Amino acid sequence: MNRKLLVGLLLGVVLVLGFALVMPTAAQDRWDGADDLPVNPLECPAAEGAGEASPAEMSMPEYDGGQPTDAPDLAGQPIVLVDVPKLVGIGYFAATTLGQQQAAEELGNVTVTTDAPTEANIDDQIAVIDNYITQGVNGILFAANDPVAIAPVLTRALESGIHVVGYDANSEPAAREWFVNQAEFNGIAKAMIDSMVAEIGADGSFAIVTSTFTTPNQARWIAEMQAYQGKCYPELTWLETVEAQEDNVLSFNQATTLINKYGPDLDGIFGMTSVATPAAADAVAQAGLCAVDAVAGAAGSAEDAVAVVGLATPNAMKPYVTGDFAGCVKSVVLWNPIDLGYAAVYVLRAVVDGEFAPGDTSVMAGRLGELQVVNGSEVLLGPPFIYTAENIDGFDF
Amino acid sequence: MTTIRQMDEQNPGAKFRRFLLRQEIILFIILTIAIILLTLGSDKFLTVDNLLNQGRLLTEIALVALPMTFIIVTGGIDLSVGSIMGLCAILLGYMWNPSGPFQWPLELAVIFSLVVGTLCGVINGLIIVRIGVPPLITTLATLALYRGLAEGISQARSVRNYPESFYVLGQGTFLGVPTQLWVVLIFVLITAIVLSRTVFGRSLYAIGNNELGARFSGIPVGVYKIIIYGFSGFMSGMAAWIFVSRVTTTRSDMGSGLELDAIAAVVLGGTSIFGGSGSIIGTVIGFVLIQLLKNGLALAGVTTDGTIVVIGTVLIFAILINNYIQRRVSAGK
Repeated sequence: MNRKLLVGLLLGVVLVLGFALVMPTAAQDRWDGADDLPVNPLECPAAEGAGEASPAEMSMPEYDGGQPTDAPDLAGQPIVLVDVPKLVGIGYFAATTLGQQQAAEELGNVTVTTDAPTEANIDDQIAVIDNYITQGVNGILFAANDPVAIAPVLTRALESGIHVVGYDANSEPAAREWFVNQAEFNGIAKAMIDSMVAEIGADGSFAIVTSTFTTPNQARWIAEMQAYQGKCYPELTWLETVEAQEDNVLSFNQATTLINKYGPDLDGIFGMTSVATPAAADAVAQAGLCAVDAVAGAAGSAEDAVAVVGLATPNAMKPYVTGDFAGCVKSVVLWNPIDLGYAAVYVLRAVVDGEFAPGDTSVMAGRLGELQVVNGSEVLLGPPFIYTAENIDGFDF
Repeated sequence: MTTIRQMDEQNPGAKFRRFLLRQEIILFIILTIAIILLTLGSDKFLTVDNLLNQGRLLTEIALVALPMTFIIVTGGIDLSVGSIMGLCAILLGYMWNPSGPFQWPLELAVIFSLVVGTLCGVINGLIIVRIGVPPLITTLATLALYRGLAEGISQARSVRNYPESFYVLGQGTFLGVPTQLWVVLIFVLITAIVLSRTVFGRSLYAIGNNELGARFSGIPVGVYKIIIYGFSGFMSGMAAWIFVSRVTTTRSDMGSGLELDAIAAVVLGGTSIFGGSGSIIGTVIGFVLIQLLKNGLALAGVTTDGTIVVIGTVLIFAILINNYIQRRVSAGK
């Protein structure tokens, strides 16, 4: 009995170790954005200003979205929308919801309710949308947990005459009419890498904490980051990319593991989600590896310091930018999620009113003015925004 | 049994009363009340379209909850079902993937993933029976192991663009009813008959009540356990097949949390977590009740976070009511 137990345990240990050793090495060099689309890195900083093409000037692909079947004509009439983000209960989607409510209030004839699973789970999200189709709404706003898995249920919504507009995380184009793109992937990738290089130099080493390898936005950004880094900063060392769902504790643990694993070799951590970035900053702060340690005045020699650059909401990052751990984080890359939710409602209203149809090149979105159409059926919110110690206190979300 | 039968002969009313107080009947009454309340909550709830659509959504939990009933009846548990489902889904896509390393025909890939699923279950069974590690620990370990394998094999890649014919199982209908609901129905019938009408099924109760006694009665306890864990793995594979067909893609995080939904359905269905009692009918009522609550509350305008609170409360109350009545019954006989 005991020998069997021993053999069993040994076998288990060998198996697990085998995987632990094989997986990270296999995990490099496969950043294809999980969607097989080509990458399109922007110009390097040195070459900038040499006539960069703005999105509108680039050749415009055909409209590739879907259209609802026999949607009732509700132009100018009150409409009821449901908003299904990836999950509820996190600051980021609270901000998009706020933007939607602002738009609804301005427009006066739109009612938006936000409802989504409490975990970013594809099956739960499908069930939520399914229920709202049955309940009967005029429009659905969504942020997909998986671009393909969500497509059948969105197609069902279109077939039921419901308008469908995505924001934040896209689905397959044919399963929705429009997608409000918060920032083009290559733009974010460039902002992230440039910010990191500004802190750790063009020959530093970095690691990434992301949600999952197949989450649409994150996977795509990482692919673009790899392309842009390869093009502009070939000397940068990409140590590892780890998954942390969109989970506070897991993100903190993953970041801490990275710090312990690579020690002084680790110069910077990218947080790819609004959960991972503050968690990574917290991990760095608790390890006493902030570049400027305002707390103790001691610790954090510049050589050991770990820089954190990432996507996050300003409120979550204020402690590390201007607060107790000021200087831990110098740049937070993001768009404005309030504007994103705001724009999504305006786009859907314009579609219902017949003011925005396939083939149009721009749409009016209230206080945001005129937004450009890119990639066939996407509405571009604008260039990414970098929050720094100088401006972050002016934002509250 | 003889004494109860004698009592029945003396007092025919007692037989009816005991029938009425059977766990399944009480659950059925709770289900009926829930349906009435949910129907009052939304006029979209009690429609054929909606109910059939809900059947589609509960399939994966249902398929896994059936073998879970077997396992819990023996006093065991299988926490690895969600991870096996994830692994099977990934393998199905990985083996078939026309631009991948294997490029097998889809049918072969499906069979292969079912075989692997079964094997995963058999491995659980072997560790539990041969090495003697408790089921909770074993399957907690393989939960991590199988999920890790799924993530390692998938290498973050999802496989898409299956042929249209593949979607029939997950999205099509047969005689007006969602295809996968027929699959559930067939497995419900098979498992119900096996558990209540065969020597194998009755032996599972014996194992759950007194494993040592069952062993001394000549029941091949080890073999039976390996069979049910293997069956659980197979059904997780079935769930994976149907799920991939429904959502048209494979991801390594598929099925995460499935084990908890399945166990909730089984326990709500009156199966004792300590083993020795339970039924397939109870489990069926369990997963139907949970799914209808999720759906009906959403249609009535309750948000998702509110819904899970209600479901948790209902779970506790249903179990409390059941326990209370069962205790009254056994005390009153």
